[in-house]
Amino acid sequence: MKKLIPIAATTALLLTACSTGNYAATQIPTKPSPSAAAPPTPTEPKACTDGKDPLASYVPPATLPKPEEPVTGYLKTIRDRKRLIAGVSADSLHLGARNPITGQIEGFDIDMVKAVATAIFGTWEGHLELRVISSPQRIPSLQNGSVDIVARNMTINCERWDQIAFSAEYYRSGQKTLVPLNAKETSVKQLSGKTICAPAGSTSLTNLIKENPAVKPITADSDTGCLVLFQQGKAYGISGDDTVLAGDAAQDPYAKVLTAERFSEEPYGLGIKKGNVDFVKFVNGVLAQMKSSGAWMESYNAWLMPDLGKLTTPPPAVYGRTQ
Amino acid sequence: MTQTQSAPPPSVAAAPPQGAAGQAPNARSAGPRGAVAQWFEGTPGRMRAFLILAAAMSVVFGLAAAQGFSQSDGSLERAQANTAQLVRIQAIHTNLVSANADATNAFLVGGLEPPEQRAHFVNSMAAAAGLIADAASAQPADREVLGALNKTLITYEGLIEQARANNRQGLPIGSQYLKDANSVLQDDSLPLVKALVEANEKRVDAEFDGISKGTIWILVGGLLSLVVFVITLRWLARRTHRYLNLPIAAGAALVLLTTVIGGVSLASASGAAKDTRNSEYERTLALSRARIAAYDARSNESLTLIARGSGDAFDKAYNTAAAEVDNQLGKSSGTTDGLQQAWAEYKQVHSKVREADSSGNWDGAVVMAVGGEKAGTNDSAQTFAAFDASSSQQLTASSDAVAGDLTDARDGLPPIGWLGIPIGFVAALLVAWGMSQRLEEYR
Repeated sequence: MKKLIPIAATTALLLTACSTGNYAATQIPTKPSPSAAAPPTPTEPKACTDGKDPLASYVPPATLPKPEEPVTGYLKTIRDRKRLIAGVSADSLHLGARNPITGQIEGFDIDMVKAVATAIFGTWEGHLELRVISSPQRIPSLQNGSVDIVARNMTINCERWDQIAFSAEYYRSGQKTLVPLNAKETSVKQLSGKTICAPAGSTSLTNLIKENPAVKPITADSDTGCLVLFQQGKAYGISGDDTVLAGDAAQDPYAKVLTAERFSEEPYGLGIKKGNVDFVKFVNGVLAQMKSSGAWMESYNAWLMPDLGKLTTPPPAVYGRTQ
Repeated sequence: MTQTQSAPPPSVAAAPPQGAAGQAPNARSAGPRGAVAQWFEGTPGRMRAFLILAAAMSVVFGLAAAQGFSQSDGSLERAQANTAQLVRIQAIHTNLVSANADATNAFLVGGLEPPEQRAHFVNSMAAAAGLIADAASAQPADREVLGALNKTLITYEGLIEQARANNRQGLPIGSQYLKDANSVLQDDSLPLVKALVEANEKRVDAEFDGISKGTIWILVGGLLSLVVFVITLRWLARRTHRYLNLPIAAGAALVLLTTVIGGVSLASASGAAKDTRNSEYERTLALSRARIAAYDARSNESLTLIARGSGDAFDKAYNTAAAEVDNQLGKSSGTTDGLQQAWAEYKQVHSKVREADSSGNWDGAVVMAVGGEKAGTNDSAQTFAAFDASSSQQLTASSDAVAGDLTDARDGLPPIGWLGIPIGFVAALLVAWGMSQRLEEYR
């Protein structure tokens, strides 16, 4: 009994020692590690399922309906809504970029949809809603009908013709490579083992791997995302359309584009929901007018000429699809 | 000492010879162990046993009383310290989301940031940095996570400054830096803050629970000692035919008094703490959470506009955050009616912003969201600032009230924490005194 009491007392004291303010250290939460996206396996461009030339679009009508004339079909849907909804980029300088001073989105792509809106309503002002979409969102947003038209440096190809419809070609771009200003390399073939960035889900990524499978591809959500990785030293170079790279190089004086090498052809088209053939025809009519009136050349000279050089003629339109 | 046992007791004539007769052979044959056994043999031996038991129990009671008081007092003190830490962490959280709301909103106006908004951003980040240092010294267990938080904030601020520099030059890459900064804050910094909040909430809860445990110590210790005292007194009364042994009875009274005073004061302190926990502490938590959710909603309002039409995810995030604000304000209703009014006004402007944006009037929506001269009187920046100011004021008041209430509860405790052991010794001495009076009779 005599021995038990002090033992009991010490145990009791020890038991309560748990609340003396010595807390277990707060744990750093474990982060789910981002799963590395597997690079796409390059596939040969397949022929269109309808056997047509991918560049071929629908023939425009001889005359376009004037803003005050009654229209039918999808054009009527747009006119009843009183505005055209276009999916664009807000961060590709000179193509579609938000001017931080004015807050307006402007560029070569934007001029195309402005022309379409002007043709529908007489003026684009107050009748054009620009929705900023990312590169992987282009096809889904057309398919779910959240935008009427996509003007976001989109390459026409057969794979996409299966999902959406394209206007006639409005610009012929090609893939080039952006590297640091002091880089010795002159071709993407010399960039084996280097980390090169391309936007996820873009044709640029597929083409890059096809051109040099030995590069380490890294992806970002947008072209500008690639430029950030480049500036942070996480990517050695960027692979992309010459139009986009020109905009990137304009924002970073320590970057240069390997202009001599152009390893793919990227014909740009305006994306429209599959089935809205009457609207595609209308848009083709607008593009044809722009090319013939000189409005196209004026826009090119304003946005792209300083970086990409003079052009004598706009790319010719190819038609050949009927329904 | 052993010799005294053979002396015949003067008062009780019958018992001693028996005891003495039985003892003698044991003492001879068992050596030192036998001597101890002999010491506890017979009535005086029992008396010694009771003396030791009751004295030891008195000391144990003193220890238990001291332990109970220091535990309750310590729990109160730690509950106060942990609440302060929790409020600090939530202030860090609020400052971060508030800074981020400024940064994202500033993006809507482009490179030309309103000076007051920029100042608010800088002040929020500076306040967060100061609070992180305070929090690290206040709670060593949080130090590692706070260090990790600091690292993410360096990255965050670096990206924000790069975004700002690029925006100022009119380069679209600024927006990408801003997006990256936002995702560093959301994906890297805020999970750390949330872990800190959770850990500190648990600590506060544990300490609030610990306050009432002190009462158990003093009650159990007191009751056990009283039982021992009563048995001792009863046994003595029977054996010695005296009704009351005064010193031992005084010891018992001392124990009883200490138990009653200690128990009552601890119970009232823990009751007061419980009230604080259910009222002001709950209110502080609710207000903090409401403010954090409100800033989150405000950021998402800007992000929805920045995304220009493809901001459904941000709009959903706004709705979740706004519902959380309503929920938290509802928890503290009755006392925060003014706040609910201010929040309702902001929500009204927000729905106008959304209405303008979804009907294609993006520019009009932006004007309303960023405020300024063009927006007129009822813009979302102003209504949000009104909510911010009054919620911040109420939060300060209620967290001060928590600290004040807990200090009052501690100050109300009698000094049994350090008096407990002396009281136990006094009771033990009283027992020894009372018992030795009886033992004297056997000399």
